[in-house]
Amino acid sequence: MRRHARELGVTAVLLAILATLALVAPAFYQTAPLRSLLAREAPTLVVACGMALVIIGRQIDISVGSQFSVCSVAAGLLAAAGWPTALAVAAAVAIGALWGAINGALVAGLGLPSIVVTLATMVTLRQGLNLARQGEFVNLPDQVQWLGLSQTAGQTLILLVAGAVLVGLAWALRSLAAGRHIYAVGSDAEAARLAGLRPRRVTFAVFLLLGALTGLAAAMNLIQSPQVQPLVGSGLELKVIAAVVIGGVAISGGRGQLWGVLAGLLLLAVISPALTHLRIEAYWEKAIQGAIILLAVVTEGLRRRAGGKGAG
Amino acid sequence: MRRAGEFLRGALRRHEVLLLLVLVVEWGLFYHYGTTVNRRGVVVGFGTLDRQFDVLRHSCEIGLLALALTPVILTAGIDLSVGSLLGLCAVVFGQLWHDAGLPVGAAAGLTLVAGALGGAVNAGLVAGLRLPPLIVTLGTYSLFRGLAEALTRGAVTYTDFPAGFLFLGQERWLGLPTQAWVFLVAAAAIGVLVHRTVTGRAFRVLGFAPEGARYAGLAVGRTLAIAYVLAGTVAAAAALIYTARIGQAKADAGTGYELYAITAVVLGGTSIFGGRGSVPGTLLGVAAIAVLKNGLATIPAVIRLNAAEEMAGLLTGALLLLALALGALGQAGKVEG
Amino acid sequence: MSSVPLLAFEAIEKSFGAVRALRGVSFELRAGEVHALLGENGAGKSTLIKVATGAHAPDAGHLVIGGRRLARLDPASARVHGIACIYQQPALFPDLTVAENLALRLEPPQLARRVDRAGRRRRAAELLQRIGAALPPEAEVRNLSMPEQQLVEIASALGAGARIVIMDEPTASLTQREQVRLFQTVRTLREAGAGIIYISHRLDEIFELADRVTILRDGASVGTRVAGELSEAELIRLMVGREMNSLFPPPLGPVGDTVLELRAVGCRAAGVRDVSLTVRAGEVLGLAGLVGAGRTELAGVLFGLTPADAGEILLGGRSVTIDSPRTALAHGLAYVPEDRRRHGVVLELPVAQNITLAAHRTLFPGGWLRSGVERKLAGEFIARFAIRTAGPGAPVASLSGGNQQKVALARWLATAPRVLILDEPTQGVDVGAKGEIHRLIRELAARGLAVLLISSDLPEILGMSDRIGVMRGGTIADVLPGTAAAPEVMAAALGTAGKGAA
Repeated sequence: MRRHARELGVTAVLLAILATLALVAPAFYQTAPLRSLLAREAPTLVVACGMALVIIGRQIDISVGSQFSVCSVAAGLLAAAGWPTALAVAAAVAIGALWGAINGALVAGLGLPSIVVTLATMVTLRQGLNLARQGEFVNLPDQVQWLGLSQTAGQTLILLVAGAVLVGLAWALRSLAAGRHIYAVGSDAEAARLAGLRPRRVTFAVFLLLGALTGLAAAMNLIQSPQVQPLVGSGLELKVIAAVVIGGVAISGGRGQLWGVLAGLLLLAVISPALTHLRIEAYWEKAIQGAIILLAVVTEGLRRRAGGKGAG
Repeated sequence: MRRAGEFLRGALRRHEVLLLLVLVVEWGLFYHYGTTVNRRGVVVGFGTLDRQFDVLRHSCEIGLLALALTPVILTAGIDLSVGSLLGLCAVVFGQLWHDAGLPVGAAAGLTLVAGALGGAVNAGLVAGLRLPPLIVTLGTYSLFRGLAEALTRGAVTYTDFPAGFLFLGQERWLGLPTQAWVFLVAAAAIGVLVHRTVTGRAFRVLGFAPEGARYAGLAVGRTLAIAYVLAGTVAAAAALIYTARIGQAKADAGTGYELYAITAVVLGGTSIFGGRGSVPGTLLGVAAIAVLKNGLATIPAVIRLNAAEEMAGLLTGALLLLALALGALGQAGKVEG
Repeated sequence: MSSVPLLAFEAIEKSFGAVRALRGVSFELRAGEVHALLGENGAGKSTLIKVATGAHAPDAGHLVIGGRRLARLDPASARVHGIACIYQQPALFPDLTVAENLALRLEPPQLARRVDRAGRRRRAAELLQRIGAALPPEAEVRNLSMPEQQLVEIASALGAGARIVIMDEPTASLTQREQVRLFQTVRTLREAGAGIIYISHRLDEIFELADRVTILRDGASVGTRVAGELSEAELIRLMVGREMNSLFPPPLGPVGDTVLELRAVGCRAAGVRDVSLTVRAGEVLGLAGLVGAGRTELAGVLFGLTPADAGEILLGGRSVTIDSPRTALAHGLAYVPEDRRRHGVVLELPVAQNITLAAHRTLFPGGWLRSGVERKLAGEFIARFAIRTAGPGAPVASLSGGNQQKVALARWLATAPRVLILDEPTQGVDVGAKGEIHRLIRELAARGLAVLLISSDLPEILGMSDRIGVMRGGTIADVLPGTAAAPEVMAAALGTAGKGAA
């Protein structure tokens, strides 16, 4: 149980907030707004799952926000040009995977620090997009929104996709050799090399996967609105990293669970509606998010310190 | 003859020299393509002194943040919160002056204290509790921006600052844009700190060998704390300059600046792993980005496209990648050789 | 005897920068033998086994496995060839469980394979049981002690069905009971036809286990002998390669007053307990003991790295509290640590900056660097210690091990200390530099410094010490006169003097 202390802690806090809401503001639990809230957060969850893999593998990617924008705009333009929605979605995934592969090649191939590489690709992508689009919105054809289904059906579909990604990746991470290799490489890349694993390939693969998932998330976001605004996704990287860290994934690699990430993301997502329902001014949202991140890292630090003494 | 060649190759391997070359090429190109004579026969564009001052004026805030980040990154740390702290300090300054009715000077002084306090939060967590700076400052990145939003309820904008204060951001003093003096003084001070004091030496040692620093009896915690508190204080100074230049203080001031500042530092040759780097390098990095951005805005073709900012950003990112890749290949060559 | 050796090295060479770690080593391992590899610290044993496991590629020479000459070897193919290595510092994944660590080593690296968690646990439990280790398979490796981690390594080698097993000081930190089990495991492996390369400093183990012995000295092999035909004295002579006392310089001056006194000092976190000791001015007090006996830990306590939580430390007769290296420095203590590259010097910094690093407070009043002062001081030390460097501005990484060590020493002498603690000062240092360092130690003692010399190199302890403190189990087991003989010190370190004490 001690292994999952962080995940359990976050989940407990989340449940406490949800319970408070149930008592004080049952209106929070109305189906339609709740479903909308979850559907809005679903793309973030998909990116967060990918980010968790990257961070468990002891890397980081701060270019996902820019990737998200590029994939959104590209898929939007293709859809507007008359491509079938399914192809546009596939294109978003492919473009995301391509950028993930570029990050992965620079980090794994050249051995560059991931934070700087992805800082550079983040700036490059963002500004390249601005240059190409000049801030123009893309108006989407009607059949794109909710994939031509009803809003309820569309939202449900999105939630199912996000759920499938979460469960699938969580399973792979836990039960496939490939998943365990990510933990191994993140825990100690040199030991992994000595054990005959291929740390560079693992690093490349997690970046590739994160890119593809970011593309998928962009598509999931795209079908929720009638147009694409090019700034969509800015700031996504920090929100996603925050969710992953709050969810108990160690920034030093090798540790973490996807269900913790889910709890972390929901905790961040629930703050704003909770504030509204509890009649606290909504301007506090970001400050509270920051405080939660700090709290998470401080408790982890103190726990580690106490644990270290016990073991030594 | 051979010694001259060796010297040249040694110099070329120095990041600062390469960057200076890039800067000169940039400047030459813009001078050539970006300077035109308008219909009334007046020289306009990049080649004019006014434009050069503009470059300087607009690079001061990110430049200050880049200066502030140089010691932090030298210790192998990072501070993502400086942009948010800039926003918070701008709001604090607005409130102290407008709501609390303090004189501008006192409000500015207290704002610097507030910045130092913000830095002290980072310092306490990073230096005191030994938590990873990336995550700590990700947290304060949200916290500081969130506090700025909460203080202004997301809506209040402070304006109508007295002319004496706006002088700092919009006028010239002794021939230079006023804020350039602040920037130059900060650059000189941080340059001296990093390159001429034992504290600066300690920054480097911490970056190269954190354990080695402890074994050498250095004051590890205090050194780290100095870096982060300094970063906070300088971010507050940047907030004052920003407010004076724009003429208003609001919660979203400086959004995204941290990433541009980090870009400038890394482009300037400071290693993200710590230890290696210099303040002149950072200044060159800031200049390369600023000249690129402003220079592109003077080229007629770019003006027609209205795309100077974006092209500059794109080229900055590409330049950074190139610098990284070259650095990695150079490093590999060194290990082999 | 089978004709084809399991593993053969042919004239292997390997250099690191200016240091030639291996100069044409040839070696042969047969099936069904325990082949001990012996040599002083820095003789090239670790480098040789890293070549065998594919962690280092040799600069020249060949590896022959099962009669086939290999062009290259990497860790993955080494595993395929049945090579397993139990490192001194276990190369495990700290965040994963024991079962998972074993599985990652033992299961084929097919990515799409389903992980059988229950099967892994069973397999791990079985392997651990076979080597007699009482470890739960679900324990996280980061929570295990060093010997426990070593047991996981051994279980992994066993599970891999390795034909060539390399053990690098496997008993260094094992308890008596674990050691007995380990020997049984080694014999079982040998009977199953495996070849075992066994590295140890404990000669009694070598004679108990080994069939043949190969001795390395300064990166070259000085001979392979049948263990049964070799006496202990002969073995030591081969290792050291010289008459023991002739090489060490004699004391230069008289011994003065007590400078450092420890009264029942202990530190739970460091595993040091009840240490009482005095060191006098002008005296070299040798600290002998096996790896893991607590010598480096004691130095850590004295230097404030892991502050004492019991007892009293007196400096010049005054009781002092040392809670950090900074306070230790202020009290006139200096510590040249064992891990030179990580702790002793800052590799990337120039020689001059390394030399002044600990003396900032006295050299640079007000905190302002003065390059003139720095260059002058560095120049003096470079000349006095004969540090071979391209100049005071050259990074320390460009120096050989011995010269790096002299820089580390210079750093601490620049602080004008009263007590100098040296932790394995000549480890990984070539013979020439070794002699120079010994001469320096004598000189420093003659100037009135109290020197605490920690060394695993027994001849060094015997040749350099005025008195010898022997540590065992985190405390001082005995203090012997400097004229003590090797077997006496060994006996005290092993705890065999009273027989049965473990």
